[in-house]
Amino acid sequence: MEKSFILHMLTTAKNLSPFDVNMALDAGWVSAVPYTNVEASEVKDLIQDVIFSRSAKALKRTGIFIGGRDTKQATDMLKMAKNSMFSPFEVSVFADPSGAFTTAAGMVAAVESELDTKFNTTFEGKTLLALGGTGPVGQAAAVLAAQAGANVRIIGRQLDKAQRIADLCSDEFGEGKIKIEAGTNDDIAEYIKTANVVFATGAAGIELLSAEHIASATQLQVAADINAVPPSGIVGLDAFDNGKEIAGSTCGAVGLGALAIGNIKYKTQSQLLKQMIDSEKPVYLHFEHAFEVARQIVKSTK
Amino acid sequence: MPKRSILHMFDPMINNSPFDINMALDTGFDVLMPYSNVKLESIHGLTQDAIFSRSPAGIKKTSLFIGGRDMGLAMDMMGAAQQAMVPPFEVSVLADPSGAFTTAAALVACVEKQLKEKHNKELKDCKALVFGGTGPVGIATGVIASLAGANTFLVDHMSIDAANDAAKEYNRRCESKLSGAVAGSDEEKMALIADADIIFCTAKAGIQVLSAEVLAHAKQLKVAGDVNAVPPAGIAGIGAMDASIELNSPAGAIGIGALAVGNVKYKVQHKLLELCLSSDKPVYQDFRDAFTEAQKIV
Repeated sequence: MEKSFILHMLTTAKNLSPFDVNMALDAGWVSAVPYTNVEASEVKDLIQDVIFSRSAKALKRTGIFIGGRDTKQATDMLKMAKNSMFSPFEVSVFADPSGAFTTAAGMVAAVESELDTKFNTTFEGKTLLALGGTGPVGQAAAVLAAQAGANVRIIGRQLDKAQRIADLCSDEFGEGKIKIEAGTNDDIAEYIKTANVVFATGAAGIELLSAEHIASATQLQVAADINAVPPSGIVGLDAFDNGKEIAGSTCGAVGLGALAIGNIKYKTQSQLLKQMIDSEKPVYLHFEHAFEVARQIVKSTK
Repeated sequence: MPKRSILHMFDPMINNSPFDINMALDTGFDVLMPYSNVKLESIHGLTQDAIFSRSPAGIKKTSLFIGGRDMGLAMDMMGAAQQAMVPPFEVSVLADPSGAFTTAAALVACVEKQLKEKHNKELKDCKALVFGGTGPVGIATGVIASLAGANTFLVDHMSIDAANDAAKEYNRRCESKLSGAVAGSDEEKMALIADADIIFCTAKAGIQVLSAEVLAHAKQLKVAGDVNAVPPAGIAGIGAMDASIELNSPAGAIGIGALAVGNVKYKVQHKLLELCLSSDKPVYQDFRDAFTEAQKIV
């Protein structure tokens, strides 16, 4: 009997996200098994129970998914999982807390593509505002854009929190090779005047950029919003927009809405889940791998 | 549509063990349903929900698995599940908390085999020590060895009370004849092992319990088995892969390593799960059945 495909799904939260469960089963995993309220201290034992109960051959049909809500926890757990294994007792691991890594990857890849096709330029040297940027999607997107050369400022409600997250992104996720700044919502009116790119990754239903902000954003080229619930996070930008000019923009800035981004996110997550199944060697996947895949997807759909 | 086989996995811990999940799916169960944080009081209701929702034909494709970390609790849960059955609404139940029942069964069966082959002895002729004797694998090992007739001591590394309490509790539950002992320092260990025929090491992974120097004092030692797969080995001189290695000890003792035991454990657990799936009548399996299977396998 061929061994079946088992995905062990770990989350620090009370429940798995049904989104991830559907995605995993649709990608070809036969069994998706939940482990909830998982603490960092348990990861090693769980992983070793996974690897010691199947043959090396059957382990190729075994995977680990790390969910949760916290990017730092998830990346730490990914590292812990990797360190708990040794050849040939190894399986693929994919971290995507709150779907944030694949959502961020989808958004950054879509924005990059708009910069290229509409403005014949790249992230290099762009001034970028990550509004509502202290959440999981904002963090991962900020890091990816900064790694692509943008000068990123994470904007939050409180400066100290925004600063803490910015430092975490620079030092931890960016391994000290990038420098992300921080700012507060109070200064958006000022920052927006020089911004080339805006990511809006705030909570659903909260307006982050007003009509006045858009009017004064004379350097703006691309704005992306992951909020699918009205009102839009950016006035004049609709969830369906996919490179359309933003209403009220004085400089021809284009917008990317939640559904356009969601479409890429969906394909990215599915492809990574499949990569775990297909890969001959174990793979360890996080936001950077998600970005590579999202870029390919955006390119292939052009 | 033919009914799919379902294994309901009851666990008092926050999470089921991925080990058991892999094993159950690889045995051929179609669907696994984990239930975590399960309390003893809930077992009756959960069991009846499992039996009354399928036809007698469907019930043959339904089983219960009881996990956790606590042997006593698992046995109580097993008892509660058994009591909740209403024949013909009855399903198979397998208890294997922390894999302790199958690991212990494999360990004792491997040791018994070496004892017979290399020293022509039976368990009932022997004095056995279980180091790490108050953990789940240790207690199960002690109970199985004691029921097979060995004069068995559960050894705790810190507290004689903990060892005596565990021995008393499981003697009451399982009608075994365990005693307690304590050995923390090398001196205490040397004194304790002087007249032991068998040493089981079920202590925490990565901790050396018996050094070569201590082991030299085991003048009557015939067989030693270790379940620790993470270096350093629990007993000096036993490699994880060793199925039967001669130890540097006065009476020519044989050592058995963790992966040799693990190989048998794996087969035992697989077999017990398979019996849940294939048996025409419901089966209730605990450490006793695990030991019977392990003896057949070795």
